[in-house]
Amino acid sequence: MKILIADDEALSRRLLEKTLARAGYEVIAVENGKQALEQLCKPNGPRLALLDWIMPELDGPAVCRAVRTRTEQPYAYMVLLTSKGSKEETVLGLESGADDYLTKPFNAEELRARLRVGERILLLEDRLVEARENMRFRATHDQLTSLLNRGAVMDLLVRELHRSHREQKSTAILLGDVDHFKRVNDTMGHVVGDEVLIEIAGRLLKSVRSYDFVGRYGGEEFLVVLSNCNPSYAPGRAEEIRKSISSRPMQTSKGPLTLTMSFGVLLSSEWGQRPVEELLHEVDIALYEAKAAGRNCLRMAQPAAKLEMSPAMLPQAVRRRQ
Amino acid sequence: MNKREEGLSEPVWNLPELLERVDNDQVLLRELLDIFKEDFPQTLRSLQTAVTAEDLKSSSRLSHTLKGMLSSLGAVRAAAAASKLEALSAAGETASLRAALSALESEGECLVPELDAYMTEVRR
Repeated sequence: MKILIADDEALSRRLLEKTLARAGYEVIAVENGKQALEQLCKPNGPRLALLDWIMPELDGPAVCRAVRTRTEQPYAYMVLLTSKGSKEETVLGLESGADDYLTKPFNAEELRARLRVGERILLLEDRLVEARENMRFRATHDQLTSLLNRGAVMDLLVRELHRSHREQKSTAILLGDVDHFKRVNDTMGHVVGDEVLIEIAGRLLKSVRSYDFVGRYGGEEFLVVLSNCNPSYAPGRAEEIRKSISSRPMQTSKGPLTLTMSFGVLLSSEWGQRPVEELLHEVDIALYEAKAAGRNCLRMAQPAAKLEMSPAMLPQAVRRRQ
Repeated sequence: MNKREEGLSEPVWNLPELLERVDNDQVLLRELLDIFKEDFPQTLRSLQTAVTAEDLKSSSRLSHTLKGMLSSLGAVRAAAAASKLEALSAAGETASLRAALSALESEGECLVPELDAYMTEVRR
């Protein structure tokens, strides 16, 4: 574990450094408060600190006060080193945000014991943060596939559409549906159905870049969002994604199974600024067309073509479940 | 041994305490003594200048530094003398500074030979 020592006096600093290194810490030693603050504000910087009270640039309590104003970073456990602990000083130090104080010259055993207290507090914080992150993950991800759930993928899509409009770029929205998924469930059982969905989720994720995103939109429907996607490349990329599903069989507990997906694809730049619901409706229509065209293919949502058609000619948003 | 009582209860240099603090690491102990031999005279000189100039702020800061250095080393009596000088500087007792400084200087004069003697002893 990393630990920061801030002391302007070389002999004491060296003594502390060596004592803590021997106790198994990864020691960072600095000689004034300003350097201490810099270290403590670094991402992945030390979270345990021993700060001398009186130092040039910034004194120990000032470092504590400054560190406590950070909000983004994890908790830092800070111990002030004082030479003589008058009651007033102690109160002032703890009020500044220090967690503990030690009187110099230190006793090695007491020092180690007090740092272990700090480590316990930090461990507790880590556990709480982890629990919170787990809850957050569960609230935004699909339990079966671990993909983003519908709510989360919609939120991200809205944000992405705003951004691409602002930057005059294009976002590609792909709505995909597994062909004849019902048959898998009916003939091979739900367990295999679930295995297939997990495998598809993995293949979709692997076929996009790290800044694109994939969500489970409904039962066997998946939404893929390609951010900042050049319109001329979009059909090709969508094809690659489609082939990632159909190109090789999936291994299931009841043997290999070849499945395909149909996709509706929409390029946001061709549609101006429209509500996300409208765009999803359009891409849903394109998906329906792909299904109607024999499945295992993709269809682009075409704004121009739509204008030429009368509303009556538009296919209804028929739900496909086969 | 290294204790020179000189009528005071505290030793000039509390070597056992220091050895415990360095976990009997002779290499570290020697390193600390080297730092001391370099930093102590230098800081003391700056302190003498500050006291002569009646610069209370500097004498307070420098005597604080010496106090930390000396107490880490287990030089209990010299640390106490530095502490006294620090307190007088902080309280603005300009008139008492010189006397307190000489007390610190004479403690330093007792201390340094003890350290040197130890260094010679362990090198043999």
